[in-house]
Amino acid sequence: MFHISSQKKYWTFDNEESLEQLRYEANQKYRNKMLASGKPGVSDAVFLEAHEENVLFRHYEKRLLDFCNAFKPVMPKSVVGTAIMYFRRFYLNNSLMEYHPRTIMLICAYLSCKVDEFNVSSTQFVGNLVQESAAGQERALEQILEYELLLIQQLNFHLVVHTPYRPMEGLLIDIKTRYPLLENPESLRKSVDDFLTRVTLTDSGLLFPPSQIAMTAILNSASRAGLSMESYLTECMGLKEDKETLLKMYDAMRRIKSLMKKYELPKPDEVNAYKVKLERVHADFGTNSNMYRGESVYGLHKINK
Amino acid sequence: MTPEMDDQGCPRCKTTKYRNPSLKLMVNVCGHTLCESCVDMLFVRGSGNCVQCDTPLRKSNFRVQLFEDPAVDKEVEIRKKVLKIYNKRDFDFSNLREYNDYLERVEEIVYNLTNNLEVEGTKQIMEAYQRENRDIIQKNKAKLTREQEELEELLLLEQQGNEQRRLETLQEEQRQLQAKRKSKQALLDELERSHVPATILLAQHKDRAAQLETQIEKQKQVVKTTIFSTGIPMGQTVSLLTVNRLEEVLYHYQPIHMHTYGPPVPELEQLGRLGYLNHVRTAQPQDMAGGYNSGLACHRAIQDAFSGLFHPLG
Repeated sequence: MFHISSQKKYWTFDNEESLEQLRYEANQKYRNKMLASGKPGVSDAVFLEAHEENVLFRHYEKRLLDFCNAFKPVMPKSVVGTAIMYFRRFYLNNSLMEYHPRTIMLICAYLSCKVDEFNVSSTQFVGNLVQESAAGQERALEQILEYELLLIQQLNFHLVVHTPYRPMEGLLIDIKTRYPLLENPESLRKSVDDFLTRVTLTDSGLLFPPSQIAMTAILNSASRAGLSMESYLTECMGLKEDKETLLKMYDAMRRIKSLMKKYELPKPDEVNAYKVKLERVHADFGTNSNMYRGESVYGLHKINK
Repeated sequence: MTPEMDDQGCPRCKTTKYRNPSLKLMVNVCGHTLCESCVDMLFVRGSGNCVQCDTPLRKSNFRVQLFEDPAVDKEVEIRKKVLKIYNKRDFDFSNLREYNDYLERVEEIVYNLTNNLEVEGTKQIMEAYQRENRDIIQKNKAKLTREQEELEELLLLEQQGNEQRRLETLQEEQRQLQAKRKSKQALLDELERSHVPATILLAQHKDRAAQLETQIEKQKQVVKTTIFSTGIPMGQTVSLLTVNRLEEVLYHYQPIHMHTYGPPVPELEQLGRLGYLNHVRTAQPQDMAGGYNSGLACHRAIQDAFSGLFHPLG
């Protein structure tokens, strides 16, 4: 359950500023490490800034979402949500320059399939990388298996992710049972799904409990459809007397909605510019295992230091 | 074939151990084994050398092997010899450290002799020790023999006690058998002689037999136990260390209270009554066979929906 989960204890933060701070620190840590190592060609300008990393992060996140949606067999939504959450959590404490998002993205999806018990064999998984040849798929699989442990480690072994999909189902059932004022909750389902997909691309999962996100989704869709659901909170949830909690709820919902509004797809020219920079960094300073074919274990040890 | 039979082949005739499980292996001072027949054969020809290591041997040095590994037997022999000389006991030393050092020295000597390391040097050490501590060794030897005698006496007493008891019970049984026979005989006699009708005689006989039985029972019980099996005589007050009385607070069970940060979830059993189950997919017969019912999925969804709903945020 969420209230005793590691997600609530360790991966729910108070506000967006603390998230920004963590990402900034991860970026700084990598920069300082590289500057201190004294490799040739190292200078401040070569590295990406935190906001540039953010653009690239959103780009790769969208690609992860597309990959999961195009996955055969069809991936359940909770698996997709878990994969994106892993991706987000990983890059909260690590810089994109240290580990290339292209690899990490695939590993997140792979791990999420395993954790959520959506059984896909590894060959089937890499078979979904349609643009690669068979050899390319092999190499991708090798990379995945190599970095999988690293991912688990950076997630601090907290692998269970509570996505808002089940709370959404639960709330719909509750509305149908106890709230006859709303005539056809099923009509809301499509827009709620849409809302939830969009919300996973924001930081809401790291800030709010999944039940609150689901509640926001439902109330938002209802108001969009012109149906009033205010009394649901006051009557059914018993919050008529408890003004404080009610206010807090409204506040949370407002914040979630504003996060959603702020999200925008990254612009292609920006993305390309930063991508070039990223590739440069990885080519020059990265321990890219594709280069050290025979020493890939060595490479892993170096990173884990 | 059990692994023990398979284990040790005689190094000389190789097969005889398997064919003849009762054949015993003998060990000698060099730590190598030979079966009984090979031992005889070896000394028939007058030569006394070990097959594997070629050390000169005497027939008297062969002992029946007690352990699976002949090296262990060898060590046991050496240890016995060493301990005949190094026979100090723990009260011969002033403190524990000295006793432990002494034991360490003994072990080193045994180890060296067993593994044929510095045999000469070790033997010299042993002789030196023997010369220095001659009288202590004698004293301890005497003490040891005395203790052993005492132990043997006790054992003997116990055995005698057992024997006596056994004889007594035998005699009892004999007596009872005889008594029964006598009463039977008496019955027959009376049936012959007396004029009283047979049924009455039979009844009398039965009575008497019953009485005899109860008498025997009583006798058995009369054997009073005066002594517990541990040797403490009954009725003796044994003073034990006083046990401190522990006063503890009685434990009261408190059910776990889980803070869900959300509205209360209805109980699993109430879900049907409250109408939740109408909005969940009904369970198929194949699901229900495994113990699943729609209430479980419904309950989980509601729990997840309500958990953390009122979670306080920063």
